[in-house]
Amino acid sequence: MAKFISKTDLLAWLEGLMKERTLAAPIKEEGVTRFAPVKKVADIVMDPGATDFSPKDWFFPPSETLFTVSKADGKTVITPRTMEKEAILFGLHPCDGLGVALMDLPFLAEPADASYAEKREKTTLVGLACRQSRPECFCTSLGSNPFDATYLDVLLIEAGGGYIVQSKTEKGQKLLASAKLTESNVETPAPPAVNTVPVEGLVAIAPHVFNDAFWTRLADRCIHCNMCAFVCPACYCFDIRDYVGKGGVVERVRSWESCQAAGFTKIAGGYTPRPTKAARLRQRFYHKFLYMPKQLGSIGCTGCGRCVRVCPVNIDIREIITTMQKIGAKVAVGAP
Amino acid sequence: MTMDLGQIIKEKAHELLASKKVECVLGYERATDGKTARPLFAYTPEETERFIFDETCVHGLAKFLLNWKDKSTAIVAKPCDVRSVNLLLQEKQLNRDKVFIMGVVCPGVAECSWDRVGPPQQRCNACPQHNPPVYDFLVGEPVPEKEPQNGVDPEVARIKAMTAAERRAFWNQQFDRCVRCYACRQACPGCYCTECFVDQVDPTWVGIRHSPADNHMWNTVRGFHLAGRCTQCGECQRVCPVNIPLMLVNDELTQEVGDKFAFQPGMDPSTLPPFATFKKDEHLGIG
Ligand code: SF4
Ligand code: SF4
Ligand code: SF4
Ligand code: SF4
Ligand code: SF4
Repeated sequence: MAKFISKTDLLAWLEGLMKERTLAAPIKEEGVTRFAPVKKVADIVMDPGATDFSPKDWFFPPSETLFTVSKADGKTVITPRTMEKEAILFGLHPCDGLGVALMDLPFLAEPADASYAEKREKTTLVGLACRQSRPECFCTSLGSNPFDATYLDVLLIEAGGGYIVQSKTEKGQKLLASAKLTESNVETPAPPAVNTVPVEGLVAIAPHVFNDAFWTRLADRCIHCNMCAFVCPACYCFDIRDYVGKGGVVERVRSWESCQAAGFTKIAGGYTPRPTKAARLRQRFYHKFLYMPKQLGSIGCTGCGRCVRVCPVNIDIREIITTMQKIGAKVAVGAP
Repeated sequence: MTMDLGQIIKEKAHELLASKKVECVLGYERATDGKTARPLFAYTPEETERFIFDETCVHGLAKFLLNWKDKSTAIVAKPCDVRSVNLLLQEKQLNRDKVFIMGVVCPGVAECSWDRVGPPQQRCNACPQHNPPVYDFLVGEPVPEKEPQNGVDPEVARIKAMTAAERRAFWNQQFDRCVRCYACRQACPGCYCTECFVDQVDPTWVGIRHSPADNHMWNTVRGFHLAGRCTQCGECQRVCPVNIPLMLVNDELTQEVGDKFAFQPGMDPSTLPPFATFKKDEHLGIG
């Protein structure tokens, strides 16, 4: 027996939750599907196929004010941005659960990022299992899978005209208290097959591939448009600047940035430690396949395929992993 | 006409590399989705086997020449791409001796994105230039050109007919989506400044905040910096991840410059764009 909710009851549940909470879910605007606050449940794309941007938009948005600084009665007052209401992030792909867990690594490491931590604390994650995989998906190679509930508070699996409901966390149970669940003997369908990529051993061979000419050749066609990093659920780089507004109120603003931009590593005096296209392109993959595993304990990729889909010149992380393995294997046997 | 343009490119590229006439040939190969194309940089005769040419070869390759300034390079170029090469020549960014133009008689290209080949591109339907205006080697047989379609693009006309307030609302709604990735700039053959105004910190022209004012500033100035220079290659709009109709800005400015200066960017390698010249007796009712 499984917990079950009908399609109408699901929408009714979400609508009810919206009265006291903010609901963010996949919304399509001008052909682009992104996680955004929902105005009415009918706008939610229930079978998004692919969401072009990742759910990191919710915790770590493209641009946000972290706090303001003002003067009152001769004292300096710091006002952090806070969330008024609790939130539900709905419609995550199962691999996106892993994405949130990966995003936690840098942002919740002590000292935790206050803005991120608050949003994380007050948000409940409701995922939708993938009944179909796409050609660019490779989640199973990175430890997730189309029905993965590990990092989600609630997982919904579409079956029998409704959804099978799974939840193991307290946050999830609390949220489900208002849902009209029934006991059902609907069978859990089989998860779809997913293309695989040879990730095993990648971290170990990565240092041996660092100086290979492959990176220079690959970077020939990269236009350094930042988009791979912007759509990635595990890329977390940003820029921070202060702005002085009306009445001398200072605003600290954080916006997305990425290692692909030429100015990203530029430091005082004009020196750039990653001066070439190849060094910049390679950084994204070494951060994911070597530095994150060494420093934070996990490969920085969920296999969601978003970067593959967005890249205007088809720089394909799956092809890169395969090539790194090939080059690494040659180095290992000492072949030229 | 069923000429295999890809085959012609393969053979010519092979010859150019084998004879060491060029060090690199820029063209297209099949992407990993098995459907669309991606840029290919061939350095050896063996690699030329991978070249293709069909309606999925949408990318403008001219800008990549800037990575190769001092090396002799051959480029597979559609007529609109040849115009971009001309722009870079006009603006003294490239040395003509180092560039070998393999101009393709263009059948038009399709709307392509990952794993999808869509209908023919709108701009190709309206394109007055199917034969490359300049080339060192012609790929394909010349075709008779269609009469250039005069008149304003209907979408541009629709926006121009709006009141100022309506127009502001329209653009605010569009620019609101901008994630400030600068992909549009990165793809543009005319955007080659060593430091873009948007990246300057002192003075700061545009803040990193994604506010309506900052987004407007970025998108408007980007358009203006291309006025009279934009070759209408469509790359900026193609790469924009949030589908902002940037060509509306570009097309309107192209029209304005065309009307005032009777100039079409990139049609030959030597005529300077209007904003790169100055004549003392110039008035044109704008100053
Ligand atoms: S999306 Fe592609 S072209 Fe853009 S920076 Fe990433 S790899 Fe380079
Ligand atoms: S690197 Fe690409 S496939 Fe991996 S998580 Fe990021 S966007 Fe997804
Ligand atoms: S360094 Fe690059 S790969 Fe790493 S988080 Fe930043 S943008 Fe992503
Ligand atoms: S502005 Fe857009 S259409 Fe014009 S040259 Fe640049 S990329 Fe091409
Ligand atoms: S490509 Fe689109 S989203 Fe990116 S900066 Fe340009 S207009 Fe904005």
